Amino acid sequence: MDTITVTIKINGKELKVPQSITILEACRRGGIEIPTLCFLEDVSKNASCGVCLVEVKGARSLMRSCITCVYEGMELVTHSARLREARKTNVELLLANHPKDCLTCLRNGNCELQTIAGELGVKDERFVRTKKLELPDLTSLSLVRDQNKCILCGRCVAVCSNVQSVSAIDFSGRGIKTKISTYMEKGLGNVACTYCGQCALVCPTGAIVERDETESVFEALGNPDKFVVVQTAPAVRVGIGEAMGMDAGSLVTGQMVAGLRRLGFNRVFDTQFAADLTIMEEGHELIKRITHKGVLPMITSCSPGWIKFAEHFFPNSLAHLSTCKSPQQMFGAVAKTYYAAKLGIDPRKMVVVSVMPCTAKKYEAKRPEMMSAFEYWKDNRAWSDDDAFYDVDHVLTTRELARMFTETGMQFPALEPEEFDNPLGESTGAAVIFGATGGVMEAALRTAYEVVTGKALTDINFTAVRGMEGIKEASVEMNGTTVKVAVAHTLKNARRILEQIEKGESPYAFIELMTCPGGCLGGGGQPIPTTWDIRKKRAESLYAEDAQKPLRKSHENPHIAALYEEFLKEPLGEVSHHLLHTEYDKRPMLVKHMAAEV
Amino acid sequence: MDRPQTLSRELQAIDTIVAKHKGRHGELLGILEETQLLNEHKFLSEEALTYVSLKTGVPLSKLYNVVTFYSFFNLVPQGEHTITVCRGTACHTKGSRTLLNDVGLILGCSKELQNGESFFTTPDQRFSISTVACFGQCALAPVVAIDEVIYSNMTTAKLQKQLGKISKKGKRP
Repeated sequence: MDTITVTIKINGKELKVPQSITILEACRRGGIEIPTLCFLEDVSKNASCGVCLVEVKGARSLMRSCITCVYEGMELVTHSARLREARKTNVELLLANHPKDCLTCLRNGNCELQTIAGELGVKDERFVRTKKLELPDLTSLSLVRDQNKCILCGRCVAVCSNVQSVSAIDFSGRGIKTKISTYMEKGLGNVACTYCGQCALVCPTGAIVERDETESVFEALGNPDKFVVVQTAPAVRVGIGEAMGMDAGSLVTGQMVAGLRRLGFNRVFDTQFAADLTIMEEGHELIKRITHKGVLPMITSCSPGWIKFAEHFFPNSLAHLSTCKSPQQMFGAVAKTYYAAKLGIDPRKMVVVSVMPCTAKKYEAKRPEMMSAFEYWKDNRAWSDDDAFYDVDHVLTTRELARMFTETGMQFPALEPEEFDNPLGESTGAAVIFGATGGVMEAALRTAYEVVTGKALTDINFTAVRGMEGIKEASVEMNGTTVKVAVAHTLKNARRILEQIEKGESPYAFIELMTCPGGCLGGGGQPIPTTWDIRKKRAESLYAEDAQKPLRKSHENPHIAALYEEFLKEPLGEVSHHLLHTEYDKRPMLVKHMAAEV
Repeated sequence: MDRPQTLSRELQAIDTIVAKHKGRHGELLGILEETQLLNEHKFLSEEALTYVSLKTGVPLSKLYNVVTFYSFFNLVPQGEHTITVCRGTACHTKGSRTLLNDVGLILGCSKELQNGESFFTTPDQRFSISTVACFGQCALAPVVAIDEVIYSNMTTAKLQKQLGKISKKGKRP
């Protein structure tokens, strides 16, 4: 820590602050707000927007407070007529090229450009458009990029490169032609993009948004021939409240269920049921790999962004990935086989909608191999390929569900809490914490320990794998063997873990990797803004929900036991193999014949 | 098609270039510059760029950033001959807009040039036409560079004569 302090004068008032912090930080510590636009704490300071300007005595021009450091004796003014004019002009210049279609933009009402324009009192359009209109990038199943709305703040580039080490996008061109591009303008769907959506989460405008599927879901709900079931991921219950105007991290499981019923879903189920199922399969897979000298370390496979990352960047290490499908996909496969048969309805008429904190899930659901239920039925029923259906039909992000609630006039905070339907709505505490980094590991350890040792855990809280640290480690004693495990979140940390494995230096048996900072609760489909403070609050709520659940270990879920007894028979069995497990593809970075040659 | 073979020869050459620059400050620009010169049509092909990315570890998006920032780099094949019309202030006042239009008329690509394209290659790949902001030869305005030779006090007649000379030399075999 920097202990040297300097004395500066802000608006005539003296303030002691540590040396080497920025003016912006110093002002915030002194309780003075400076408006900002492109700046985003922990993510980027591109200093491109010119909104955070301040007057520094002796300086030739106005200074950008987000990148200018304080020095001893610095005197500055944060609010003056000159500053007001300059900030406003800079925003007006950005608005010259920004489309004026706020009313039909997904970010209407939650747009930093809109807000700042209002706050700075922009009243008319002084400047004319100078850039050519561009077509939106529709190549990805998860994200839509509209270059016209971009203000070149650089946050998406920073998050993609610095947090995720993916670098799917970067600036291109120069001067008036500067824009954010994928390689050769190929589009997100044709480059090594993981669809994690962190770019959408940090975008101040509507330049990168999730691919909206709300209309298709409304359509399915309005179709009397369809039986529409919904599953909700753990992280959604600590995010949706926020998006409906409640406090950050509000735990609203009951209201969410009530709201979904009011939207008209025939059954409201829980992805957490499938999370318990994942633990059964993945836990047994781990035990099998350890006892049968299989490929270790084994790495979790719940996070589709991480899967695509591994397929692009570490194609030779795919054997380390658990073959388990993610809970979303396990749910879809079970719903359209086991549950459809139980109800006696045609699986072709069943529509599975999932609500996820994630944009990559939209793509995961449309991976060609995710049609296990169709494969399961087609031979017996003599169906043709025209009857084909995906296990999961539509994936909504938390933000999209919030829009559906809002569109239907739901008074969300006032809803009376309701319970999930059974059997696919029952879950344990182990499944709840899937939504936080370290949660899948903890859930797996709770089950693996008891299955391997046959003894009950005295303390089921594995606190060493909790928290927001980038890479966490723990060791667990099982029948005299020490099992070393690791937990990492963000793809940059995943890269470190994978590089260690490829060097043959990984000391671990089991690793949990999550794409997004903080795990799913910080996913690319979560409410905007998502900051570290907010992530921590969401995590606290998930662990609180876990603590209050009567059952907290996946193998104790009675409906999971019934599912095995009636249908799957045993973990890693024949039926599981077809419905709950999958395989991975080596994905070239880009040009096919190059990949083959090199 | 001898394409795969020429490709691998080009890739081998890139290996040498990358090895030569490895560790130098600002190595990327040198690597890209030499890689571009390797190509018969003096441009950075997608294959070459992908290979450079693989060898240097610089992400593709970052390479695209660099090659679109510097006007020296070309992402499309260059014509056999280059014509660069100066559009700086001095040349502009001395009629360089008319010269640019004349080039378009002579080579039959007026439409493309009027669409505001600052770079254009004729479909037969014989000529690449580009503009620059200034050659630093303002006293001799207007200037036009043909195959890197700067012609001063350019007129439509002189332009026609020079281009005619090149055309007479016949097409590339």
